[in-house]
Amino acid sequence: MAAQLASGAVGRRLGDRVILAATIALAIVMVLPMLWAVGLSLKSNAELLVDTNSVLKAPWTLRNYYDILIGSGVFRWLLNSIIVSVGMSLGVLALSSLAGYGFARLEFPGRNVIFVLVLFGLAIPEQAVILVRHQLFSDLDLHNTYAGLMLPGMSAPFGVFLMTQYFKAIPTEVDEAAMLDNASRFKIFWRVLLPMTLPAQATLGIFTFLHAWNDYWWPLVSGTNEQMYTLTVGIASTQMNFAESAGLGYLMAQAVFAGLPILIVYMFFQKYIVRAVSGAAT
Amino acid sequence: MPGIELKNVTKTFGAATVIDDVSLSIRPHEFMVFLGPSGCGKSTLLRMIAGLESVDAGEIWIGDRRVDRLPPGERRVAMVFQHYALYPHMTVRENMSFGLRNVRLPEAEIDNRVTAAAKMLEITHLLERKPGQISGGQRQRVAIGRAIVKEPQLFLFDEPLSNLDAALRVRTRLEIAQLHQRVDAAMIFVTHDQVEAMTLAHRIVVMNNRRIEQIGTPMEIYSRPATAFVAGFVGTPAMNFTPVELSDGPNGFVAARLPDGAIVTTRIEASSLPASKSFKLGIRAESLDICPVGQGETAGVAQFVERLGDRTLVYVRLSDGSTIVAEDAGNSRVAINDSVGVKIDGGGVHLFDDQDRGHHAVLDGSAT
Repeated sequence: MAAQLASGAVGRRLGDRVILAATIALAIVMVLPMLWAVGLSLKSNAELLVDTNSVLKAPWTLRNYYDILIGSGVFRWLLNSIIVSVGMSLGVLALSSLAGYGFARLEFPGRNVIFVLVLFGLAIPEQAVILVRHQLFSDLDLHNTYAGLMLPGMSAPFGVFLMTQYFKAIPTEVDEAAMLDNASRFKIFWRVLLPMTLPAQATLGIFTFLHAWNDYWWPLVSGTNEQMYTLTVGIASTQMNFAESAGLGYLMAQAVFAGLPILIVYMFFQKYIVRAVSGAAT
Repeated sequence: MPGIELKNVTKTFGAATVIDDVSLSIRPHEFMVFLGPSGCGKSTLLRMIAGLESVDAGEIWIGDRRVDRLPPGERRVAMVFQHYALYPHMTVRENMSFGLRNVRLPEAEIDNRVTAAAKMLEITHLLERKPGQISGGQRQRVAIGRAIVKEPQLFLFDEPLSNLDAALRVRTRLEIAQLHQRVDAAMIFVTHDQVEAMTLAHRIVVMNNRRIEQIGTPMEIYSRPATAFVAGFVGTPAMNFTPVELSDGPNGFVAARLPDGAIVTTRIEASSLPASKSFKLGIRAESLDICPVGQGETAGVAQFVERLGDRTLVYVRLSDGSTIVAEDAGNSRVAINDSVGVKIDGGGVHLFDDQDRGHHAVLDGSAT
């Protein structure tokens, strides 16, 4: 019996080690390109043109970052990205919460049909609607505006679905207790139920923010004025042609610069991101 | 202080009637228990009084105010839910003061009420904690505290003990009884647990199948059940039932002949019985005593013996094949398959007519 227990423990230890080794290997695979990008951004462009492996050898320089800070519109693009990502996230949270509450708690004619229609939105790819959307936004004069960049992302069927399910999971006894506590319907939503959905809000907010931050296609279509570029479009615009190798250090410096806000977001919301990814929040 | 009056209250969900023309009057400061099996409508009736379900027909009055069209918050009632229904993101103090803030009570008054209720319920040390950080029993106290601070005219309890373990249930039951002594309000308590009903209630409303079967004090319900349902639902073990043939007995009482041929002289006056195609005899185990064979009105074979310490329940199979539960002393020596006699106390016999209405032994010279 004791021997069995001991061998079980050994088996577990061995299993743990294998998992740990695999995790470390995966982490290296994930992190190495990023470190490589950081390394490239610290080398002069001329040196890189000769040999990209020179990353590992001195001299290193901050020249590329200096060039970014004084020479490009990257601050403007960063600001645009922040405005669009934060605005879209807040918009998605507000609309999805209200819609989710409505679908979960209010009774109105056609509720189930409308909910299914919203879910259909999950199945429609952006490519299928982008021409029509472009035309619509053009007619409404919304291109090259923040509203134009944010609005399409705010129709978030996944958000509505997530929040509906989350509100449904809250026992209606809680609403009833608040009704007996003289709370108005809006107060029940705002003060009682909404705070209970914070984990879902965090998940949805983070995913929306990351999606908006990394989005390339719609900002490319809608924000044609350089002043309205987001970071992704802006950085791409500095590259003259695909797979260009000239100015590699500068390009990497921009990529690192663009990634910093995401890193900061991750540092602050790490707990929620891990939960969101593992699905524990829902 | 006001009483509560329900007048011909009806509730339907689609085609299904869930409360059927219920009228009921609850006295000020009365502790009323709604008792019945799952689905009998007792919780729905409570929720209608609270304002959480609409009233399709009839009226509900609390004191001199008709409340059935008022929103829940304006009925001056407080409710304690089965699953506590605390606000998980608020501290215990915030949970208790939320309702008071909504009616814009002065902060000092809110603080006084919360402090007093917390002291009464011994939860002062929990006030700054959140519901997730306290035990189930403590949560139930907080839920009760949230009701107390509102100083309502009527407390509503919706099976508040069913989520607690057995020991805590007994303790909380006692505390609710004590709470009722201290507050100046009526209470309605919904349960399917007859022990809770018997121990807490001034009066019990026994409900079945969307209707009220009987309203009475616990002892009335127990000893003079209005219907066969009440007789069978209240009391452990359940009342024994058997079809009987009636004949005239001595002194104007009826005698009942059991299927196995045994004759029992009841204390039920023949003149009090209605015309009925058939009668069913009901008798509780405590009126059936185990005795040596030949000394009782009937006899049979012990099928099963339950030793409860202070008494022993013996399941006896009679010669006609039916089984009755009889009682013996705590130190009973009856074993399975023993032949036993059963002495029947005629004073404990109830008769139920073909409408299932109960008829009982005379009481102070009057029959029912």
